[in-house]
Amino acid sequence: MIATAMSRRTFLKVTTVAGTGLAVGCVFDNEPTLTMSAGEGGQLGLWVRISPDNRITLVVPASEMGQGAHTGQAMLLAEQLEADWDTIEVVTAPVGSAYGNKKIMYQQVTGGSSSVTAWWDELSEVGAATRELLVEAAAQQWQVSDSQCTARAGRVYHEATARSLSYGQLAGAASRLSPPWRPKIKPREAYRLIGKPIPRLDIPAKVNGSAVFGIDVRRPGMRFAAVSQSPVFGGELTSYDERSALAIKGVESVVAVPNGIAVVADSTWHAHKGLEALGPKFAGGVTRGLDSAKVDAMLRAKLDEMGKAEIKGAETIDVEYQVPFLMHATLEPMNCTAHVTENSCDVWVPAQNQDRCESAAVDASGLSSDQVNIHTTLCGGGFGRRLESDFVTQAVTISRAVSKPVQVIWSREEDTRHGFYRPASMSRFQISVGTDGKPERWANQLACPSVAATFFPPVAWFDFDPTTYEGAKPIPYTVPDFDMEYTNVDFGVPIGSLRSVGALHNCFYVESAIDEAAHLARVDPFEYRRELLGEHPRHKKVLESVAKASNWGTALPEGHGRGIAIIECFDSVVAQVAEVSITGRGRLKIHRVDCVVDCGRVVNPDIVKSQMQGGIVFGLSIATREEITIKDGRVVQSNFDDYRIMKLKDSPIINVHVIQSDRESGGAGEPGVPCAAPALTNAIFAATGKRIRRLPIGKQQL
Amino acid sequence: MLTLTINGTTHQVDVESETPLLWALRDTLGLTGTKFGCGIGQCGACTVLIRRAPFRSCGITVGEAAGKKIQTIEGLSTDNTHPVQQAWIMEQVPQCGYCQSGQILAAVSLLRKNTNPTDKDIDRAMSNLCRCGTYPRIRKAIKRAAKLAEAEQ
Repeated sequence: MIATAMSRRTFLKVTTVAGTGLAVGCVFDNEPTLTMSAGEGGQLGLWVRISPDNRITLVVPASEMGQGAHTGQAMLLAEQLEADWDTIEVVTAPVGSAYGNKKIMYQQVTGGSSSVTAWWDELSEVGAATRELLVEAAAQQWQVSDSQCTARAGRVYHEATARSLSYGQLAGAASRLSPPWRPKIKPREAYRLIGKPIPRLDIPAKVNGSAVFGIDVRRPGMRFAAVSQSPVFGGELTSYDERSALAIKGVESVVAVPNGIAVVADSTWHAHKGLEALGPKFAGGVTRGLDSAKVDAMLRAKLDEMGKAEIKGAETIDVEYQVPFLMHATLEPMNCTAHVTENSCDVWVPAQNQDRCESAAVDASGLSSDQVNIHTTLCGGGFGRRLESDFVTQAVTISRAVSKPVQVIWSREEDTRHGFYRPASMSRFQISVGTDGKPERWANQLACPSVAATFFPPVAWFDFDPTTYEGAKPIPYTVPDFDMEYTNVDFGVPIGSLRSVGALHNCFYVESAIDEAAHLARVDPFEYRRELLGEHPRHKKVLESVAKASNWGTALPEGHGRGIAIIECFDSVVAQVAEVSITGRGRLKIHRVDCVVDCGRVVNPDIVKSQMQGGIVFGLSIATREEITIKDGRVVQSNFDDYRIMKLKDSPIINVHVIQSDRESGGAGEPGVPCAAPALTNAIFAATGKRIRRLPIGKQQL
Repeated sequence: MLTLTINGTTHQVDVESETPLLWALRDTLGLTGTKFGCGIGQCGACTVLIRRAPFRSCGITVGEAAGKKIQTIEGLSTDNTHPVQQAWIMEQVPQCGYCQSGQILAAVSLLRKNTNPTDKDIDRAMSNLCRCGTYPRIRKAIKRAAKLAEAEQ
């Protein structure tokens, strides 16, 4: 039986599962005028499944890639459902319009640190509505009124007669009821889960090897494929030795894929050996002739095209900063498993953008979207790389060609050389400070490939890309004459979103520049910022809190220095203080980082903390050593021996303080990253007087 | 046929002796808890214990591993009762979790040799990469595991 009800925002559907269970589905509609008939119920996403044995499965929109989104979303839903936390399982939803992220153009995307912020109300409503159905079912059975019954930890109670029924026992009866018109949302005073450091649901499976990532998918009769793509971006395959490849034991076939070629075998190792024997050669490509010196020259030319500002004042700064291309370096390399038949295409993939995966599978399979099923696995890291779908195109193309299930796993070399890189950029600051030391004029110019243009090309035509200049415009500091100009540059190198995106480079630029201004004004960098944050009390509080937590202003051992930085991004404000020392031989040691975050209402403070800790390590790794360089149109680096990421021994003590506030929630997955670099380089300046204006710090003399 | 002794069970595997142990574990034996990260022994996602010492299984062949006692993450405990697993849960270490099989086995090996490791000992022993940045929690979890193991004695 299917019953439906419509409220202003929520369209709920209740149905039975295998005759006895309960499944609750709904779509969310922000247009009150939109009407929907029961006949369209098939389009509804299913969100909650309760089986008679009391197992509860929550089908949530977010991909779990380490950021804790499954747990966070489950907490929001389970809070209102009054579920027993120990009986909950979470899976990522299949593709469906109900799961479109309202913060990301209704695409089914896990990104923009929005898993909590975009879904808070919707998850609460589904949970509350399901709870009301279960309560109503119990009340009917006991022939009492709903108001005499209470739901708690997976059971409905009638206190007066000391009776209770489990959700599993009520699921069948609840599935025959009409969903509530306007479910009553439990107030925050009554929260049992939200705001508490509940252990993550995904962790038990991640400590015994049973968690299933993309490369762990196994299908009957599955083959393994290795791929090679043109090292020069956009180059074409010119020759390969198919006979030698097929002579390798276990190799079954050679299949052309867009921009490259694949070898299919009975094991990953045989596929890899086959690819070596295949020896594909490529020619041409859009980045032919490009190298890192040319990238620098193009960036500088763009800045010169914009031209310098006229700047006057008691004292002035005129400086340029730059950052390199970066790769995401997810520890799980790009991979995808596909099984294409005449009339179906199943795809198992660690992905952040299910809509894009579906489109890629439709295009590569020649089937329609209702014949394509995207199954999202756990992601061994995402950081933005898994917003792409190049790996889906490959797996579907190969499976279609060989008519078998196929798993494609990229080598680390392929992964390093075929990324969607954080773009290289350059930023110029001309700042004048008045006799009172405060900045009077702030002229900032940024030359950087447009990240937003990768998913919405027109933004590049008008140099309008708030994603790419996030953190540079607006800035929280009071400056009477503020001017920030942005221009797009296209190198032909594929670019994409890397964790915290524009804020990542702009926080380094802006927080370095303000530090330089403080130095010019001969004012303590914390005091200088605090003074200029007069119109931003939230920022001010976070900054003051981090100064206190880090004992800012107290004496340090000889050779040590502290640096401070602050950013607002993804609706959260984060400030960090790094403490460093430089040895006599110029070796940098990062002793500790203090971090304060205000991300509004907090669902799970321990997950917020872990995201800050991880974000800081991520940011320090980027600042100290990470760099993709280009030579002869191709990426120079190939693996973790030449693209180094931070190890445990270099990671500092990290103290995180989470400010609890009543504001709307902000993000947590990304905002921890941007401050790490400027806090670090400002600390280096404090310790040595050496200003780092180019990342990574690498082998620069300290 | 080569003989591999994994987690106390003997397996006959029909692979070339130069096959990296990693791929025999994953593709031939279905022990997918051991991960592939780089293939050149840098990242440690494929760490297994051979005669109780940590090895990158991408860099050791089936021929070399044959006849030796191999332990993978699946052999630690399936019910998460090993002190290192318990400590990993208590400290809520994993984020994406992909590197954690290797991290946990590296920690197990360290704690077998050194029941009370200092920060320096941990620095030296833990060379596995974690892109999510769980290092501060790994450090705490190793110290907690040391205490749990001591309490068990």
